[in-house]
Amino acid sequence: MDIGDCYVGWATDEDIRTRGASGGLVTAMLAAALEKGLVEAVVVLKKLGEFEAVPVVTSDPEEVKAAAGSMHSVPIVLSRYLDYGTKVALPAKPCDARSTLEQAKRGQVDIDTTYIVGLNCGGTMHPAVTREMLDVMYKLDPEDIEGEEIDKGKLIFETKDGEEHAIKIDELEEEGYGRRESCQYCAVNIPTMADIACGNWGVIGDLAGKGTFVEINTKKGIEILQNAIDAGAVEITPADDKGKAIRAKVDGAMMNVAAAANDKFLAPIEGSHLDYYMNALSDCINCGACKTVCPVCACGEGAKCTDFSSASDTYKMSLFHLVRFVHLMDSCIGCGQCTDVCPVDIPLTHIYQRFAVPMQEEFEYKPGMDMTTPPFFGVDLVEEGH
Amino acid sequence: MAEATATGTTGTDEWQPKIVMFCCNWCSYGGADSAGMGRFQQPPTVRVIRVMCSGRMDPVFILNAFLEGADGVLFSGCHIGDCHYVNGNYKATIKYKFLKAMVNELGLEDERLKLDWISASEGERYAEVVTEFTEQIKKVGPSPLKPEGVI
Repeated sequence: MDIGDCYVGWATDEDIRTRGASGGLVTAMLAAALEKGLVEAVVVLKKLGEFEAVPVVTSDPEEVKAAAGSMHSVPIVLSRYLDYGTKVALPAKPCDARSTLEQAKRGQVDIDTTYIVGLNCGGTMHPAVTREMLDVMYKLDPEDIEGEEIDKGKLIFETKDGEEHAIKIDELEEEGYGRRESCQYCAVNIPTMADIACGNWGVIGDLAGKGTFVEINTKKGIEILQNAIDAGAVEITPADDKGKAIRAKVDGAMMNVAAAANDKFLAPIEGSHLDYYMNALSDCINCGACKTVCPVCACGEGAKCTDFSSASDTYKMSLFHLVRFVHLMDSCIGCGQCTDVCPVDIPLTHIYQRFAVPMQEEFEYKPGMDMTTPPFFGVDLVEEGH
Repeated sequence: MAEATATGTTGTDEWQPKIVMFCCNWCSYGGADSAGMGRFQQPPTVRVIRVMCSGRMDPVFILNAFLEGADGVLFSGCHIGDCHYVNGNYKATIKYKFLKAMVNELGLEDERLKLDWISASEGERYAEVVTEFTEQIKKVGPSPLKPEGVI
C-alpha cells in the first residue's frame, strides 16, 4: 500500500455494512482504530433527529458502530473538545479537514496524532432551513420524513408512508433553500488534505452503493487502513481506472457548479461598499458567537477583536468585526458556521469571503490545503530571507 | 481643533483634517525631531504616536484611529534594511498590504492610509511627507467613519 493508491473497500461486519453508508468502510475503520489501540478517541456524529447531528467524542467502539450512516453536519472545531496531543481519529468533510489543518498550524492540534478520515462532500443543509423548505416547497410535515437522498440533481425526501417527493436542487436554491450558501460556492469536494479520502464517487459495477472509494494521501492514511485490514474489519480491492475517471468527473462537475455560484454570490457590490457593510453589521448584538464557532480562530479568551471593543462603543462600525475582517483574510475557509449561528442573521461568511478571497488569490494561498505552507506572515518572511 | 485651525498654515477657516501618525522610536520619531530642529514648515494636522518599531503596528491601532474620527492614518518606520529590530519593517509591510486591501474593500478611500519610510536624519522629508499627506486628505474630505459629534 502506497501514498496515492486508490481502493474500493467495505466493512466485513454484516450489520455495519447494511447500516453504514456505502458499505460502512469508514465506521468499521474508526471502530477498528479504537479497538486496536491506534487511537484513544474518535469523533462521531450522533443523530438528534432526521435533520440534525452533533459531534461527540467517544472511546467506545460500540458507540462508533452505532453512529454508522450519519449525515454530514457542520464543521467541527476539534481543538475545543480535545487536549493537545490526544490520539484521535476524526471523520471529516473537506472543511473539517481544512480547519483542523489550520488549527494544527496555529499549535491548537497535534497533526501527528490526529488521523483525519476525509469524506467526500457535495454540500450540507441547515436543519432549520430544511424544515422550512419541507413546509414551503414540498408541502410536507418535517416530522413525517424518514429518509433523504440526492439523485441526478434532485433532492428526494421519503415520507413514512413510503412515497418519494423530488424537487430539483437548482430550483430549491433559487428560492433560497437547499444547501447552505457556503456549500454552494465551496469548490473542495474531495478531501485531498485528509490522511485518507473516502466517498461513494467512483464505485461502479456490482459494488455500486455497497463499497467506499478510498484514496490514500499520507502515511497516517496507510496506518489507519492497514490497521483495519489487519483487524479483519474491512476488505479492499484496488480501484479500476474507470472508477477513478468517474470520481474525477463528478468532482470536476461539482467544481464548475461551485465556480458559477461563487461568481453569483461574490458579485461586486453595487453602490457604496461602506454603506453595504455598515448596513449588514448594524444588527450585530455583540454576542461573539461567530468567533466562538470559528474553526480557524486560535486566539482564545484574550483576543484583540474582543479585548479592544466594547458594547458601549458608539463607533459607526464595530471594531470587533473590523479586526476579524483583517484577521480572517489569510485563513477564512468559508465553512459557513458564523452565518449559521448568528442570532440576527448577518451573512457573515459571505462578508468574510469578500475580504478573504481576493487576498488568498493574490497570495496563491488556499488555507488548510496542506501543512507545508505556513500562514502568510511566515511565507513572506521566509521568502525575503529573514 | 479651534487652535489648530487658528494656527493652520493657510491661516484661513479652511477645513483641517485630523491625521494620526505612528512613528517608530528609532527613525521616524527622530525624523520628526529633525524636522522641528531644522524648522521645516509643516501643517499642524498630525498627531504623532510613538511606537518602538513599525513592526509593532497592529491593525487594531489603525482601525481604532479611523473609528475614533481620524481622517487619515500615516505610519512610518526605518528604511528597509535599517530596522533596529532586524526585520520589524518587513513585518509592517505585510500588515500594510493586508490593511490596505481590507480598507479598500471596506469602502474607505485608498488615500486615507499610507506607509512611508523616514529616517532620523530626514527632517525635510518628514515635513514633505506630512504636507503631501495632508493635501491628499484635504482632497478626499472628512472620513465617513467619523463618529457623530467629532470634528
